[in-house]
Amino acid sequence: MDLRQIQNRQQMIRFFDGYAIERMEELDERKLKRPLVKSHLLEILDGQEARTSQGLQAIFGRRGVHLQPLDEELFLATDDQIGQIGFLERLRPRIVALYSVMKSDELGRWVRRLVLHSPEIDHVWLSGLTFGVLWELVTRLGRPHRFTRLVFTHDSIFAVDSTALEPGEEEEQISQDSEDEELGEIIERRATSFRLVDRIGVIQEKLRKLQEIYSPLYAISQLRFPSPVGRGGHDFYDNGRVTNRSESFRDHRSHLLFVVRIYEQLLKSTEEQAWYSIQESVGVPGQFRKIVGAPVIIRFREPLNADVFEYWIKATFERKRNRFRLWGHPIRLGPTKVHVYGVDRHLWQPLFLELTAKGCTAIIPNGTCGNTVHRLVTNIQRYLDPGAEAFIGDKPYGQIVEDSTRGIRYDPNAE
Amino acid sequence: MTPMPNELIRDPLFQLNTLLWLAQPMPDGSEISPLLYEKGFTVYAIAPLLGLPLDLRLVAQEAQIDMQERVRPDVVLAHEGARKFAFTECKKSSFGATSSTAEQGRSLLVVAGPRAAEVLGLAPGQVAGPLLAFMTPQTEQGPLAQTLATLYKGLNAAQIPAGQFSVLGLASTETEVSIAIDDQASAFFGLPKGNNSFMKREPDTDPRPLYFIPYDPDIDQSPEEREFCKRVLFERMQSTVVAAVGHAHHPCELSLNSEKILNDAMFGMYGQWENRESARHMRRLCWQLMDALAQAVNSEAPNSITSQPGEGWKIILQNSEQQDKVLDALTRFSCVTLDLQTEPQPGLFDDLEDGTLQGGGE
Repeated sequence: MDLRQIQNRQQMIRFFDGYAIERMEELDERKLKRPLVKSHLLEILDGQEARTSQGLQAIFGRRGVHLQPLDEELFLATDDQIGQIGFLERLRPRIVALYSVMKSDELGRWVRRLVLHSPEIDHVWLSGLTFGVLWELVTRLGRPHRFTRLVFTHDSIFAVDSTALEPGEEEEQISQDSEDEELGEIIERRATSFRLVDRIGVIQEKLRKLQEIYSPLYAISQLRFPSPVGRGGHDFYDNGRVTNRSESFRDHRSHLLFVVRIYEQLLKSTEEQAWYSIQESVGVPGQFRKIVGAPVIIRFREPLNADVFEYWIKATFERKRNRFRLWGHPIRLGPTKVHVYGVDRHLWQPLFLELTAKGCTAIIPNGTCGNTVHRLVTNIQRYLDPGAEAFIGDKPYGQIVEDSTRGIRYDPNAE
Repeated sequence: MTPMPNELIRDPLFQLNTLLWLAQPMPDGSEISPLLYEKGFTVYAIAPLLGLPLDLRLVAQEAQIDMQERVRPDVVLAHEGARKFAFTECKKSSFGATSSTAEQGRSLLVVAGPRAAEVLGLAPGQVAGPLLAFMTPQTEQGPLAQTLATLYKGLNAAQIPAGQFSVLGLASTETEVSIAIDDQASAFFGLPKGNNSFMKREPDTDPRPLYFIPYDPDIDQSPEEREFCKRVLFERMQSTVVAAVGHAHHPCELSLNSEKILNDAMFGMYGQWENRESARHMRRLCWQLMDALAQAVNSEAPNSITSQPGEGWKIILQNSEQQDKVLDALTRFSCVTLDLQTEPQPGLFDDLEDGTLQGGGE
């Protein structure tokens, strides 16, 4: 369908609703003829420009993406090279959703390229710790007999010294949200990637015990929210992709809004607590200055061995393209300790790190986006230690996520 | 780089940054146990400039007691609930009661005395208990306590009210770094008297934490420590420049000046420097780095970085190709290639930038 025929929000929702029903019927017959509706949640770096429609158009325009407004917050997104992509909606001031019916691998590649080249745009990063809290919400929102799906992904890529494992751009793209592809390589390092489909009640009863026995089960990388208005549900991925496997687009969008409100609150809390700056002390403005902020501390469940630590540091700071998207020159302070006064090379913001075999301490200067923290936690759980604990100051990261869910309501009629 | 622990604990910047970490919120089991934060103390002010009450200065003049008319303790820690304020000063070693440092010691004793609220600009009821706390190696704890007792007596004899004082003694063994707490500090901070371990040491590993304040030209450091701190400062300045270029939208012309670069690298502390010569020294370091960065960048993308005496630098990013080249050159450059030992020489245009320092110069 030529998406230009869709002139307003109502028409877009009707289109996607009808499309979703057709796909569910095809799924029932196990004959999916066209791709499912996918949404990609993207974080737009806070700033004056991003706050207006024109600003949003300018940010995407710099990357060859034309946003044609349907209303103040909704746009038809067209790529200069490949044509129509889908619809882009600003859900919250800093978070947009891109709705599309492109094939998942094509869309995934397009989104990753967009993010890779745009310091103002990042994925919404849902770490295993964040998914842990969202899973608790699923157990409260969904009935115990409903089916859900969780995917766990952990790959100790730094456990072997093989340059073949460090990705080129395309390789990284493929592995980032490998849902269905068959892994052909022979793996001789800890690599966990499996999906678990069962009733909510059953998983709820077993998961915590299983996690204690086998830590990669902390690294939840996908989670399905069962749809309350019908069969199926909404699959959230750790990089902000969400696939609609329900028969309602409205319900899909409500779930996006629900999670995005939590994420927005999480970003705000992270930045409020973690940002380090020197501020004037209350009482005598202009005279005294004090340090405010809190370090971000990530503690590994088990210390890394020296070889893994060494390879992690080399693979991260000696390669331009690295999983952690960091730049800096490590200052060696011991066999398993370095300091890096560097930069988050995706968002191009300063970041100071102490990396040891036992964990990581980060100082986030004022103005550095909270997404840097969530990407760091997500990647550490995925590639280094699935059971890693994180804190902002003395507060557990999980507690901050949980606090961010307070007062956020699921609204099935959200428009 | 694994300095001898005894050298490190004598270094005032290690002491200062350690003190700041001891007052940061951190979970149980962290690399550093934040002993002071756990007792409710946070950083109230860094290097605040505190003037002595005028009447006390007059009394001191009449009694012919030498004091500084204003002092900058390194850090003021506060316990908001208990309204306690600790004026802390880091020292490499003890000093004698007749040395020039004794003038600073007397002034610190006075600002931490019964008039502390007035000195801090607070209402009398807002300060319940002030304390002057020196941090120094444990081996210097006894001599420094004696000196402070002598200074205290002298002030008392002249009827100049002085505050309680304590000396926190830093010590390092092969397995841990600790702080020795005396009676006064124990009562004030609520920490047990004696050695309080706050950091476990790993074999062959330098125990220093990440530095909040990486550099201070006004303090006395060993050449090795000065070199290390200079490297950290350079790394932080470089990250400021890399971030600015990476984040820019071409086509554009970025303007950077030493004040912005230094303030970004120092959490804004550069703007607090009073000593004009020290501020100049910092700017020369900035020029040293920027000259080297410009050379590295311009050899790959000619004329991309130009300097303008008295103003700073312009970085030209006309298109994505130029931006990528500039970024590549900037990120490949390593500060270890710079001469970190030689002090930068005065520049022809030092004077031009003197006015850029807010609150700087006297």
